[in-house]
Amino acid sequence: MKIDREEARRIAGLAHLEFDEPSLEQMASEMTAILGYIEMLRDADVTETAADREPTPLRDDVTRPSTDRALVEKNAPSFENGFFVVPKVIE
Amino acid sequence: MISGSIDESLRTIRENDGRIHAFLHVAKHDVPAIQPADSFPVAIKDNLVTTDMPTTCGSRILGEFYSPFDATAVARLRAAGGVIVGKTNLDEFAMGSSTEHSAFGVTRNPWDDTRVAGGSSGGSAAAVAAGMVPVALGSETGGSVRQPAAFCGIVGVKPTYGRVSRNGLVAFASSLDQIGVFSRRVAESAELLAIIAGHDPLDSTSSRVLVDDYRDGIDSGVSGLRVGIVGEAIRDLKGEVRANFDAAVEVYRRGGAKVETAHVPSIGYSIAVYYIIANAEASTNLSRFDGIRYGHRSARARTLGEIYFDSRGEGFGPEVKRRIMLGTFALSSGYYDAYYGRAQKVRAKLRADFATAFKQFDILLTPTTPEPAFRIGEKVSDPLSMYLSDIFTAPANLAGIPAMAVPSGFSSEGLPLSLQIMAPHFQEKVMFRAAQFFENETAYWRATT
Repeated sequence: MKIDREEARRIAGLAHLEFDEPSLEQMASEMTAILGYIEMLRDADVTETAADREPTPLRDDVTRPSTDRALVEKNAPSFENGFFVVPKVIE
Repeated sequence: MISGSIDESLRTIRENDGRIHAFLHVAKHDVPAIQPADSFPVAIKDNLVTTDMPTTCGSRILGEFYSPFDATAVARLRAAGGVIVGKTNLDEFAMGSSTEHSAFGVTRNPWDDTRVAGGSSGGSAAAVAAGMVPVALGSETGGSVRQPAAFCGIVGVKPTYGRVSRNGLVAFASSLDQIGVFSRRVAESAELLAIIAGHDPLDSTSSRVLVDDYRDGIDSGVSGLRVGIVGEAIRDLKGEVRANFDAAVEVYRRGGAKVETAHVPSIGYSIAVYYIIANAEASTNLSRFDGIRYGHRSARARTLGEIYFDSRGEGFGPEVKRRIMLGTFALSSGYYDAYYGRAQKVRAKLRADFATAFKQFDILLTPTTPEPAFRIGEKVSDPLSMYLSDIFTAPANLAGIPAMAVPSGFSSEGLPLSLQIMAPHFQEKVMFRAAQFFENETAYWRATT
């Protein structure tokens, strides 16, 4: 699987990652090399395998104290009146 | 018994860490002057959250993050007398095998400071190997405890998936991640694991299987133990790593174990499976770093979209970006079945292969790593060759089984070599017994003191 610069740009968009053009080019060639190695999975024989995994147990849905809001505020880049602040998203 | 003076630990760190760089943060005034008799110093990998010290994950994206809570494993350690003397260096978000991907500089191997300490828990391994702490916590996704333990000549344990709560371990790949332990002696690792193991209501994947007394019968030897050599893993292994492994196997034979070749036919696919599944999970887990709730927010971002793109672009290092990109690709429309779906099927086959092998064997052996510690800079520009240094360790993460690294001697250059012992799910007890036998017979740990 060859990843070209345009495909890398598409994936970067999905992943919300900013790259400059030279980094994007390098990323595309590194991804191509790694995916080349991963091609070996096509040859694996998986015909006899049954799913054997236990489902993750769910815990009871009970209320418990939440994180202290003051501690949340300390780590937030921008926080006012109990809210995280972001730039205006609607005109 | 785990023991050690807190003051001495802090002094050793002050004297040696300039050279090694095992620590990202060292406790200062918050260590009480008088310690209870059962207290011991412990170092914590810096992707485990702590209320009294910052947590960086070796990344710039977390900024000056102070967790509102302690990780469950950290809380259990504190309750058992553990005094956290510092947070240790790691590859950014535990993604790497050398700590060269830490945003805060590499950790050097105490045996040869031109070489890596391994990774991603390289700081914890180096801190134990350099005598700065008797024990430390690390975390594993594909070998991040066992590989640095091997490179640093100490014991490193990855327990069964679900044996230790992941609450407060910053998530990398949730179906693979597990907290592990480091020590110089096998019995110390057994003791440390018993402290942190057990069910936790804050982690639904933590198991309700009762925690065994790992030290009970630990010295009872290996007579009659069914020991399997993983044939597919060592087939192409040559040179002194092979000779060292063969010598280790002989120790078990002499001890009365029944040693035979075991077969895990799909083991050769492990790294390929690992880099699809781990990166797919990483790309989703790391979406939480958005520049909004905590951590770095780009100063140049003007819109909400720019906050996401610029904060992540500036905050994440190249290896983390590479893995997010690969994971996003593997999960993206049109490629999901061919990559992620295929990898899950091969993973199921690998689990089935291990289950079949463990019908015949109590433990399985391989070397821990295909080579001793490599030089700083040697692999950093070739991601695939770095990934292949986890070739013997990643299978246990994919299968969810316990595995550990035990020192097995030295290369001609004087670098530590290591034996890996794998056991069936929740059979840590037999694994520790086999490791203790090897330690008693060989005593390579003495070279580290």
